[in-house]
Amino acid sequence: MPRLLLLMTTTTYRANAFLEAARRLDVPVVVGSERAQALAAANPAGHLTLDFLAPEVALRQIVAFANEYPISAIIAADDEGVIPAAMASAALGLPYNPVEAVAAARNKYRMRQILAKAGLSSPVFTRISIDADPLDAASQLSFPCVVKPLALSASRGVIRADDPAQFVAAFRRIVAILRQREVAMAGAGLTRELLVERFIPGIEVALEGLLSNGRLQVLALFDKPDPLDGPFFEETIYVTPSRLPLSVQDAIATCTAKVATALGLREGPVHVELRVNAQGPWMLEIAPRSIGGLCSRTLRFGDGITLEELILRHALGLGVEGCERERQAAGVMMIPIPRAGILRDVSGQEEARRVAGIEDIRLTIPLGQELIPLPEGSKYLGFIFAREETPHGVEAALREAHRRLRFTIAPRQEASGEPTGFPTAASPADPLRLVAQRTDFAPTRTFPIRAGRSGG
Amino acid sequence: MLTITDAAQKRITGLLADQERQGLALRIAIQGRGPGGFQYKLGFAREADKAPDDIVVDAEGFKVFIDPESAPNLTGATIDFVDGLYESGFRINNPNSIWSDPVAAAVQRVIDTHINPGIAAHGGFVTLLDVKENVAYIAMGGGCQGCGMANVTLKQGIEVLIQEAVPEIRQIVDTTDHAGGTNPFYQPAKGGESPLV
Repeated sequence: MPRLLLLMTTTTYRANAFLEAARRLDVPVVVGSERAQALAAANPAGHLTLDFLAPEVALRQIVAFANEYPISAIIAADDEGVIPAAMASAALGLPYNPVEAVAAARNKYRMRQILAKAGLSSPVFTRISIDADPLDAASQLSFPCVVKPLALSASRGVIRADDPAQFVAAFRRIVAILRQREVAMAGAGLTRELLVERFIPGIEVALEGLLSNGRLQVLALFDKPDPLDGPFFEETIYVTPSRLPLSVQDAIATCTAKVATALGLREGPVHVELRVNAQGPWMLEIAPRSIGGLCSRTLRFGDGITLEELILRHALGLGVEGCERERQAAGVMMIPIPRAGILRDVSGQEEARRVAGIEDIRLTIPLGQELIPLPEGSKYLGFIFAREETPHGVEAALREAHRRLRFTIAPRQEASGEPTGFPTAASPADPLRLVAQRTDFAPTRTFPIRAGRSGG
Repeated sequence: MLTITDAAQKRITGLLADQERQGLALRIAIQGRGPGGFQYKLGFAREADKAPDDIVVDAEGFKVFIDPESAPNLTGATIDFVDGLYESGFRINNPNSIWSDPVAAAVQRVIDTHINPGIAAHGGFVTLLDVKENVAYIAMGGGCQGCGMANVTLKQGIEVLIQEAVPEIRQIVDTTDHAGGTNPFYQPAKGGESPLV
């Protein structure tokens, strides 16, 4: 029986979706993550603890594991797992992208170099050390530009600068993010430099694709109807199918295929971000993984197959030909973070759910926890999902549902000292409060319990 | 038989002497099963709130209402009141096994001896809510509620352990409201972070 190694960090949004897909396919799963799972000892064939930041070590662990429990396919749910997945797949003779291609896609500067060499449309770019003097660096730049880390994703640390003063402020802000301990540790050596690239005006789209032996199958093309012109690039609404002319959609697909070929990507899912203007599509990012957050819930194929099931089927060689996305339009709103503070309440959820076309609303930051907006923030506040006959209907439903939500956010300084995550303690004022159970007391009065009557 | 210790009798009688509670009865119910055994609810109730099928116990000075579902599991239980330096409140000693169904009892043993000790390090716990037609219904609490890896714990750990020990169980259903979790052990985040630090 085939066994699937699923690499994902313990901070993934995707665990449920991939495990559910594996269950539907009845495929045993090994979960490889950077921390031991709670019950790992009880099921050693189902867990593998790997250091994604030391891929050579992870490779040896995976190969040793595969000797005992043969693995048929490896899938990385998140960015962090793609390099170990590529290395292990190569060692085990499993189909995957070449290590060099995956490494290039993980490093935005390296990717820009390869695309420039291949003559593909992507912004003019340079890189700057985080130790450089930003004032000096600004004198060498043309504006407007976009400053971004080499490896973070989901618009984290991405800032537009229209002049040298804005560039200096953006530079310092991003360097502060990159010097955060958890980012520096996870950055895999990519936190010492910034990428600066020309701002490309235009609309933005996202393409979800699947590569099979180097051939791109477009699974979905999402419009992003909210303008993404900076200074920060908080993504909000994704709607598919795209409302762009078919000729433009074809150009986007062609651009993506060329970029994948130039990088050497050949197998598995790709998530691609592009800008489109009068000059055509411009490649912003291509990631050798599927769409992040909970956004994949918008996609259904064939008779209800999820994106994760499609990816698993492809990885296991089960065939995905002819799996077309459903005819209905679908979309998701990544709920914007209104402001920094402590999330106290989100009301109006039932009203929002009643909007025609709305399928679900999921909050992914617990009440009582801190909201950090972009560019520093690393968490989605939540997601609204919609399905309708037309993309216009989806977009309208998402906006109306969001309009009905009301967020109560307390200033951070007012929220300290409140423990969370524990059962509500019995109030000292409750006269009938219970204490922990014990058995070392002597009863003195007993009363029979009889149904239907008073007993004495 | 329901036993009420002198201390509990005195405390309840004293509370009922309060002007606002005169004429009220005590209601005791089992509202669930948790890591420490049965979970109880105590409250005062008006005579008008007594359901027709409630069992009524005359406890010398006040009545005790017990719903028919709770009654079998309260037979032989003792209500005590403790008032010490470190704790003050009612304690219920219940000799009944929390499950009469042998399959449910077997599942409970797996949870008590293997699952909850394993997930305690993550601040989590699992509660068996019921077993019906060989389906075990559970809820995850503490650090497991809302945890990004809760499904990994469920499918790769809880299901494996329960179905190995109790092969009669054909499915485990997680009924947890994960959106209501306030302190999940692992919280999802966009790429680029590692919980190793």
